[in-house]
Amino acid sequence: MSDKKKNGRPRHWWKTAVIIFVIFLLYAYGLQVTKVNLEEPLEPKRQENLVSLIRSLARPHLFDYETETRSTAVSIHMPCPEDIKASQVSIEGRSALMVPNCATTTQDRISITGDGFLPNADGLIGWRPPGADSTRRIGEFKVGPDGHLEITFTMPDIRATAEPQKLELVEIVNRRIIGLSDTTMEALDKIVETVLMALMASTIGTLISIPLSFIAARNLMQNVKAPISGIMSGVILAPIIGGLGWWLASGIVGPVLSENSTALASLQAGLSPLGFVGNFIFVIIELIILTLPLVFGLIGAFTALSVGGRFGQRMTMNLADAPNRALNIVTTVLGTAVLFIILAYSLTWINLLGIREFMPETTQAQLSMFTVPGLALGIIAGLLTLRRPARHHYPIGLLIYNITRNTFNALRSIEPLMMGFVFVVWVGLGPFAGILALTLHSVADLGKLFSEEVENIDEGPVEAVTATGANQVQSIVYAVVPQITPHYIAYIFYRWDINVRMSTIIGFVGGGGIGFVLNRTINLTAYSQASVMVIAIAVIVTVLDNISSQIRSRII
Amino acid sequence: MLKIKNLTKVYDDGTVALKDVSFEVPDGEFVAVIGLSGSGKSTLLRCINRLIEPTSGEIWWNDVQLSHISGEELRRARRQIGMIFQHFNLVDRSTVLTNVLSGRLGYVNPLASILGRFPEEDMQRARASLARVGIPDKADNRADELSGGQRQRVGIARALMQEPEMILADEPVASLDPALAHSIMRHLQQINQEDNITVLCSLHFLDLVQQYSTRAIALNEGKLVFDGAPHEIDDAKFIEIYGREAERIG
Repeated sequence: MSDKKKNGRPRHWWKTAVIIFVIFLLYAYGLQVTKVNLEEPLEPKRQENLVSLIRSLARPHLFDYETETRSTAVSIHMPCPEDIKASQVSIEGRSALMVPNCATTTQDRISITGDGFLPNADGLIGWRPPGADSTRRIGEFKVGPDGHLEITFTMPDIRATAEPQKLELVEIVNRRIIGLSDTTMEALDKIVETVLMALMASTIGTLISIPLSFIAARNLMQNVKAPISGIMSGVILAPIIGGLGWWLASGIVGPVLSENSTALASLQAGLSPLGFVGNFIFVIIELIILTLPLVFGLIGAFTALSVGGRFGQRMTMNLADAPNRALNIVTTVLGTAVLFIILAYSLTWINLLGIREFMPETTQAQLSMFTVPGLALGIIAGLLTLRRPARHHYPIGLLIYNITRNTFNALRSIEPLMMGFVFVVWVGLGPFAGILALTLHSVADLGKLFSEEVENIDEGPVEAVTATGANQVQSIVYAVVPQITPHYIAYIFYRWDINVRMSTIIGFVGGGGIGFVLNRTINLTAYSQASVMVIAIAVIVTVLDNISSQIRSRII
Repeated sequence: MLKIKNLTKVYDDGTVALKDVSFEVPDGEFVAVIGLSGSGKSTLLRCINRLIEPTSGEIWWNDVQLSHISGEELRRARRQIGMIFQHFNLVDRSTVLTNVLSGRLGYVNPLASILGRFPEEDMQRARASLARVGIPDKADNRADELSGGQRQRVGIARALMQEPEMILADEPVASLDPALAHSIMRHLQQINQEDNITVLCSLHFLDLVQQYSTRAIALNEGKLVFDGAPHEIDDAKFIEIYGREAERIG
């Protein structure tokens, strides 16, 4: 015993051996599962394909060129005459010799040697088939530094004629950039679209996630406690007042707004030189009309929760124990039933695990079917409230915190690509679907990052401001907001940067932006165009990354 | 008049921070709260303005039972009780003026204050408070640009904005050097004597207790072990308060 401790060396060498063996097995199995194959990549055909792909990618179609060429024509016989000869031409200091000067099959090798050509020039050999309007490219050459030229080729097809045909040696004498290529223009156009997509998604995502980040912050929520009668009164009232809000918005306010928005359409026409500004106003109004029922419904529900909470609080404070317990039981029975019915109805609606097959078809029949089990559950829950003191304050804040946090985590773990796919189905191909997908992902991501920032604040100022008699909102505005603002701004820029990168991927499922074009060019095997897109993405991501890190380092 | 009856605080982890503490503080007194670290001084002060929920017992403040109110009533009571802290608890990124104005949040219109608007008289009151604690020229500086002593003065100015009847001071000088400590204590003494504001101040050093307070109460492991005039703390009492291993200095 003491010996072992003295030299400190573990005697369990066999454990190490077993661990090494297990690791060895793991990698061996991994190799098999991942189908690592070293023969395929060594095949000449594959290597050739790879080289040609890399060469296309290395030659992005960035610019349009104007080329000045000079061509030298050589005669070729098809098929070969009895007596095979060579052709020789000599024009303007150039001389070329073609051996042989004829071809009978597509396997016949023909070689051309020349001298006096422009040193280092690129060029190609063109053939004009009999009766064709244009020349066919049958080979390329590069002139040596001494003006010497050597090339061997075969004819791709043979069209026999009595007269000799012409091959042209076209050498590129001069090459000038005359402007950006169409591909580059499209890349620029789509990069702007991508950056704006990312901007919109980041902005909307930020606006939504800021309020959510407060209810996803543990330190703000853990002190939110309420008596069960308050919580349950809120739950009972929420669908009623929320539904009222929805009805008010969709039945009364919405139609009034949309009537007036037709008047705005004429305003939009008046603003035609600034069409996009008019369109912006128009879209904002449409958006308001569209989301109004939801907003009114949510406001109604939250008002109900707050009113219910206050009612419960007041009752709990003023009632004696026995009536208090009675109130707790009644509200819990009803509240649990309402929760159960809403939950069961929603699950039926999305057809979770094919549940719809077992349910009646009409909404009314479904609701009445859920009522009995809802009430039964409610009675159990109601009796459970007796286990706690009548005035017990339940940690409702922590519950809300946990639900929000876990929703964020679940949403974050869904690939934006998948979200993009869902939104493309809903709103159609194009950047709008991309914006929605990125927005949803941004809300989840920023919500979590923001709420962690709220959790990391110095609690001292909050304590101090609360002690002055400030209410909860005031203490958040005065003690929390100043502490988190710089971090929030930094995250917003960071998110914009991420959204630009993500939107290039979302384009692959039709979510607009440059990814859409990249996908198209790859599918068309137009690699030198795809290369332009890749370069554009790399440039914009690098630039934005630098800008965002500069801004972040300056703010914090 | 502050009356505390049988106050007990047990934290969720089972720590008993206060055990059956009872005492009274007539208006205008300067009461020092002494005891070792962890003896319950901070918990006691925070139970009074309900930053910490007491487990049982009663806290009476001018005929209002502080331990039984909530919401609007609690905020009304809190605004009459100023508080200053060991680590000042200023909002570093806000200006000194904003920090001082936040002492007024219990009085002003909540909506206006959220938008950053305060009545003109509150702005003047804030500048007057800063002048009173000797830093009238720092109003527009950011709070984190100030030195420790200046930061605690901002803390006092913020408490004065509440027009409090009582100030709770939680080791207000523990992070300051002795010279600054005396200057801050003199400010508290001046407020106590000129404005007749009750001061309940936890302190570490007995010389400060004897120099500034009119009365001292002592806690040991959450129990009240002494209540009397500061000069009554003799060697025997000292050992009772601080334990056998403590040595009297200063």
